[in-house]
Amino acid sequence: MPEKTLKKNMVMKTLVLGLGNPILSDDGVGFYVAEELKNRLDGLDVSIEQASTGGLSILDLLAGYDKAIIIDAVKTGRAKAGQVGRLKPEAFSATLHASSPHDLNFVTALELGRKLGMALPEEIDIVTVEVEDVTTFSEKCTPKVEKAKHIAVNTVMQELDR
Amino acid sequence: MIHSHIAHFYALAAPDFVLGPTSNPEERNILGLVAKVGLEIGSEVIKHRAYAQDIQNVIGGKATHPVFCLPGGISKPVTKEEQKDFEEKARSEVEFAQFSLKLFNDLVLGNQEYLDLITGDIYTMKSYYMGLVDGNNRINFYEGDVRVIDEDGNETSRFKPDEYLDYIAEHTEPWSYLKSPFLKKVGWKGMVEGKDSGIYRVNSLARLNVADGMATPLAQAEYEKMYDTLGGKPVHSTLAFHWARLIEILYAAEHLLELSQDSEITSPEVRTIPSATPDEGVGIIEAPRGTLIHHYQTDDKGIVQKVNLIVATGHNYPAMNISIKKVAEKVIDKGKEVSEGLLNMVEMAFRAYDPCFGCATHTLPGQMPLELTIHDSKGEAIQTISRH
Repeated sequence: MPEKTLKKNMVMKTLVLGLGNPILSDDGVGFYVAEELKNRLDGLDVSIEQASTGGLSILDLLAGYDKAIIIDAVKTGRAKAGQVGRLKPEAFSATLHASSPHDLNFVTALELGRKLGMALPEEIDIVTVEVEDVTTFSEKCTPKVEKAKHIAVNTVMQELDR
Repeated sequence: MIHSHIAHFYALAAPDFVLGPTSNPEERNILGLVAKVGLEIGSEVIKHRAYAQDIQNVIGGKATHPVFCLPGGISKPVTKEEQKDFEEKARSEVEFAQFSLKLFNDLVLGNQEYLDLITGDIYTMKSYYMGLVDGNNRINFYEGDVRVIDEDGNETSRFKPDEYLDYIAEHTEPWSYLKSPFLKKVGWKGMVEGKDSGIYRVNSLARLNVADGMATPLAQAEYEKMYDTLGGKPVHSTLAFHWARLIEILYAAEHLLELSQDSEITSPEVRTIPSATPDEGVGIIEAPRGTLIHHYQTDDKGIVQKVNLIVATGHNYPAMNISIKKVAEKVIDKGKEVSEGLLNMVEMAFRAYDPCFGCATHTLPGQMPLELTIHDSKGEAIQTISRH
């Protein structure tokens, strides 16, 4: 970890949040990437959380941090499985990991939280991994997504270093 | 129960009533709601939902998907400090539940148009109802007998959890991955309502309908008010599930306060390690969305071999189909433009059940899988509208 990140993270409360369902194959990729980051970020003042949630529940996790990096699976069909990308929350007009009929989508929840004066991160970055299979019960990702995990880990490390 | 009902009412149900069912969809959401009723109320919503989550987190290790359950009990007791915190939060939850019912009274019941919508025919469905009750036929979320009533309020069945297979069967349709549960003794007659059809409903209104009352005083008063206003028991209005949900928040908050003042909750005796190999067990509780059945069978080593779950959304699935069809038939007319507002009125029919279709399993760019196809009299599809 470069010295500059160390200094930055001493003053900024940072959260790395892996989202997904770890028993549904590639849907767990965010979860697994966060797990791998636990070793890489050991000793640094960065919190790492894993969650299978969305909507208002994400606000509870984000509250109190200055910066957050969220890792989640995407299935756009416009990229090859395993492709890692970066996005901002504003990029989503529809939803992020909670297209549930009984919860809010992430962007609405975030806007609500900010309107209500919650202490939410000013900076939120989303690291995405294009996935293939999110319906098979498995605690392992498909081979292409499995290979992409270390790229996603490095992408998060770069985001932390910015 | 408290956090789930608060989130559903304020984030999903209230915008339809406070902003209006056919209002601008850009504003018909929780952000529009907060803009109309005030930021302070929005903060109270977030605060009280979080209080309920905090309590679950402290007790269960995680707010959602708790990790404290062990064979024979739980992993840790509640401390005296935690108990004190729970009591303070419970008092606040009771006040917030009362406030929410007042808000509903002022903004929804005080508006004749909305009251007509609740009591009107398009959102009315006559069915059987199911829910857990205690020995005095009061609502109980955790234990008791499963009671079933018919559309006239008569008790038609009452059974213990391990008898559920004698009372409930499941029908399958080739067009759906969800099964359709029905009352075995009445039988499956298709997706139709009424006493001859075995379709029944669970969730908040069903629980209030099957019970003779609430087990706490403030909730009991609100229970009586609802039935007085809506013309007695049982109530068949699907939109009244929202009202019942608010009464349940009050009951749950009052009960939370009772439990938080019970010295027994800090007892260190939280686990009795089982000494026998389990073979079979059935558990039934009331989840926020309704009756939840878990049935497990194990082999001679105690390893689970067979599982049967009937979850709340499953119980309500046939009724949801009927409710959606009923509204669609009433609001869609030949030659009349099917606006977003009308589509929302159809959506209100299923939103009242607060369905949970694999909510934690979607990935980007997931979207609400709601599509409405309008057919002409010959069955030809003439228009399809999707909600994203």
